[in-house]
Amino acid sequence: MSWISVEKAKKLEERFGYPKVSESKGVVSVEVPKDKFIEFLKFLKEDKEYDFRMFIDLTIIDHGEKEDPRFQGVVILFSPSNQERIIVKTWALDETLPTLTTLWKGAKWAEREAWDMFGIKFEGHENLVRMLLWETYPYHPLRKDFPLEGIKDTYLPSLNETLRGDVLEGMFNYDRMHTAIPTMEDLEITQKKRMPVKTSQIVLNWGPLHPGTHGTIWFLFDLDGEYVRQCDIIIGQLHRGVEKIGENVNWQQFIPYTDRMDYIAAINENHAYVLAAEKLLGIEVPEKAKWIRTMMAELSRINSHLLWLGTYALDLGALTMFLYTFREREKIMDIIEGISGARFTISYFRIGGVFADLPYGALDAIEHLTKDLPKRIDDYETLLTRNRIWLSRNKDVCIITEEDVYDFGLTGAVARASGVPYDIRKIDKYDAYGEVEFDIPVGETGDSYDRYLVRMEEMRQSIRIIQQCVAKLRKMSKNDPYFFQTPDEKKLKVTIDGRGMKLPAGEVYASSDNPRGELGFYIYNKKDGLKAHRMRIRSGAFYNLQVFTKAIIGRPIADAITLLSTIDPVVGETDR
Amino acid sequence: MGIKKVRPKPQTLVEKIFFLDFIKGLKTTIKHLWKKVITVDFPYEVVTPPPRFRGIHGLRTVDGTEGPEFESWVKRLKIKPPEIGETRCIACKFCQAACPVPELFDIQAEKLDVPEGHPHYGLKVMTVFKMDLSKCTFCGLCTQACPTDCIIMTDIYDLSAYTRRNWVLDKDMLTQIANDFVARRGKEKFNEISQWREDQKLWPEYDKTREKLWDFNMPKLGPNYQDQTA
Repeated sequence: MSWISVEKAKKLEERFGYPKVSESKGVVSVEVPKDKFIEFLKFLKEDKEYDFRMFIDLTIIDHGEKEDPRFQGVVILFSPSNQERIIVKTWALDETLPTLTTLWKGAKWAEREAWDMFGIKFEGHENLVRMLLWETYPYHPLRKDFPLEGIKDTYLPSLNETLRGDVLEGMFNYDRMHTAIPTMEDLEITQKKRMPVKTSQIVLNWGPLHPGTHGTIWFLFDLDGEYVRQCDIIIGQLHRGVEKIGENVNWQQFIPYTDRMDYIAAINENHAYVLAAEKLLGIEVPEKAKWIRTMMAELSRINSHLLWLGTYALDLGALTMFLYTFREREKIMDIIEGISGARFTISYFRIGGVFADLPYGALDAIEHLTKDLPKRIDDYETLLTRNRIWLSRNKDVCIITEEDVYDFGLTGAVARASGVPYDIRKIDKYDAYGEVEFDIPVGETGDSYDRYLVRMEEMRQSIRIIQQCVAKLRKMSKNDPYFFQTPDEKKLKVTIDGRGMKLPAGEVYASSDNPRGELGFYIYNKKDGLKAHRMRIRSGAFYNLQVFTKAIIGRPIADAITLLSTIDPVVGETDR
Repeated sequence: MGIKKVRPKPQTLVEKIFFLDFIKGLKTTIKHLWKKVITVDFPYEVVTPPPRFRGIHGLRTVDGTEGPEFESWVKRLKIKPPEIGETRCIACKFCQAACPVPELFDIQAEKLDVPEGHPHYGLKVMTVFKMDLSKCTFCGLCTQACPTDCIIMTDIYDLSAYTRRNWVLDKDMLTQIANDFVARRGKEKFNEISQWREDQKLWPEYDKTREKLWDFNMPKLGPNYQDQTA
């Protein structure tokens, strides 16, 4: 399902001789030697039969200090014409790899991140600087020899509570030694390295604490008058090392951390993670859990899009929208709160299903909401869609072409607005998405207006999916299981609280369609274990944000707000 | 594969000249002008959280509603059999094992200081149970791991404090919180063996403030599944 077949991959082996094909849980990966790496990828990209045009992800696996060679590069590609994926791997000998930016421009940030986190140099990269941490930071934190708590080398007692001058000790106090924090000089160096050559007089800094950036993103605009000539983005202010945490906590225990990545659509984050873990476990969740999960994921999508619409309109000067959308959001959050117990950081899904059945009256409330919402969305559309100010601020603003989508690995509404019907719900058909009917809204030109229209239509489609889920769930019994029941406790243990749960060895990549794009989890497990060896999070928002630096070129500075809002990144997910 | 193209027709000349787009928009806003206020006037009005709400933790005491396996767990961990009003905690540390941030717990058990031959000789009792809620993610994994349904989550959500020390709750505080919650809303949440009730409501229907945030158009709660009864 959505992966290249082993036979087809074997043909590559016959053709070139050097690739080694392996398969694990339906995920097909091809290993090639480093010197043939670029040649092989170029073939995959340009060959008509294979056509792996779309860049999905690039990451590194650290196999541990004692292994030699130690680092392995992993590239995930997608073929839009065949609707299948492939993983290409190579060993990073001497801690270097050839750059992929000559083939896909979108690899630029991924390579920066790999350098930042693993210290792998990419030969031929135009400006290999750190992605998430500041330039003078001496370590590479995702290496296996870097401790989870960090290297505490800065004396910082001021965080501790004091009583009459004495620092108190206790559970509530921090260690006096702290991990390194950037100083103003460090940030200045970082900023200069990001944009080494200025083309004009003014470099405008936007953010990191500007309300228009929807979080902590730091933009650098090289301005010629009002027009942007060069742009770069400094992210990482919200970096918490979620991938590192994922490699150091147990399987179910990681779910609350995924909530805190894309905090606007926490359910969808949980969803992608549990899908990947279930794929690695090789289990099928009960029917009822599938439908509940689909329904909740779509509720969360509407919730996320409502927040996007409100803040987007607010940024462009339409304050009223914000008040209206937040009224509807409140109702959705109220339902989610009743079902799972939390409004925002939900962690309702578990590997193997959901942690509790729906409470009494949940389906009624959701049905009530789906009857009410279409009218409200019509209201929003009468306010915005044909409004002349709205049109002039959005139409033909910051066009993202189909070529960009493949080059930069754009997913979600941004890809769909550019005319690429890329939707994981249709491609992978995870959970109950194979059984529900819905359309993929697709734009024509790829401007901001299209991205707006696509998201509005997505909300309507989500309502359609929820209605089908409610109808299906109504027919089920209250005694149907909502959590996976293992046939043999000794062989396969799946628990709601996650104690003693082991996942088998193997590698797996599974993704879900987050409101912000494809959120994928690449899990590499060396041996059966309580923890993952490598947990890579392919963030849709991260790759979508990258196209900002290209789409803004030649546009006036005022369009930055429109473009950023329509790309709709959440900093928790870009920074992880 | 269903693909739907989105692109409305461009503005017509009539629309442009007569400002129809603005008039339509104004109609919508004026319609909303006559609606009732939906803002909840916190803190003078509060919305009662639903029964499943994941708020501050509590430690339940023995009150005759323990699950059927409670006795065997007490025996297995060599805990002094608790009497009515004493804590249910058996210091098994399952909550700590299930916690994404295990260092927030400080759980200790001590052997009772009684002479040999005493019925409680060699048995333990939980003495320290501290939780640092500033580190808590309120995910609820500890409540799902607890074998004796001791640790629960209550509906208290305001845990702001002047110092970090106030976030560290000890055994007595947690017990008091749980006792208070069970007396207040225990019937809504738990059944007679301390499990979650099957007919837990999505939200408490006696709460009239919630109507406000639903635009005075509340859904009526009914059974979910065809074989479910009220």
